[in-house]
Amino acid sequence: MNVEFDTHGNVSVVVISGSVDGLTAEDLLNRLQGYVAAGNLLLVANLAAVEYTSSAGLRALLATVKQTRRGGGDLRLACINANVRKVLELSGFTTIMKLFDSVDAAVASYAVSVGS
Amino acid sequence: MAIEFHTNSMRELGNVLAFVDQACAGVEADTVFAVRLAVEEAFTNIYKHGYAGGEGPVAVRVDVAPRQIVATLVDEAPAFDPTEAAAPDLDAPWDQRRTGGLGCHLLRQMMDEVKYVRRERDNVLTLLKMRS
Repeated sequence: MNVEFDTHGNVSVVVISGSVDGLTAEDLLNRLQGYVAAGNLLLVANLAAVEYTSSAGLRALLATVKQTRRGGGDLRLACINANVRKVLELSGFTTIMKLFDSVDAAVASYAVSVGS
Repeated sequence: MAIEFHTNSMRELGNVLAFVDQACAGVEADTVFAVRLAVEEAFTNIYKHGYAGGEGPVAVRVDVAPRQIVATLVDEAPAFDPTEAAAPDLDAPWDQRRTGGLGCHLLRQMMDEVKYVRRERDNVLTLLKMRS
């Protein structure tokens, strides 16, 4: 798994790639928490290159959603492949998180409103 | 064809997943995704709950047949039945969401059949996925 951060104005795009499993999710969570703690509260996770996630990856996403929203921001998801989307749906995450078909649409959504 | 992987530690998860990929070579991607996920959730549950964060033996076996895939996990931890684990509340608002129980829930949802048997000394969990 690999994580990279990319800023688009006041929104940060987190590009996650590879396999998010019970071992790599811890690294993902640490990177995200550190990034949010540094003051980056408006996040978009680009999941186009995430080919696999287990509940461990969902734990990292949920913890980051809570952390950003409590600070007045959000974590929104973009470009989710079919299998990852199925895991999000089965876990009830599609009703609490905002999902977009493209990174641009997810970034633009912050111009309209901020928060949950 | 059936092959087995033996380990003693949660740190071997990456190798277990690589083993599942290898055992399922040539199988449809969606089916492999489901089996991988179910094996991971079962495997991490055994170490987190069964062995309480410690170490212990786990054997993972994968049988690939033309119409189905069967993965079997055998461990020597105290009895733990993932088919009986409480379902998570999927309707709770975001700030009240807990991720506990999500692993067992996903495991049950992704498989066509999940069977747990407690034997005298070990637990046997059988995961069956029909091929698409």
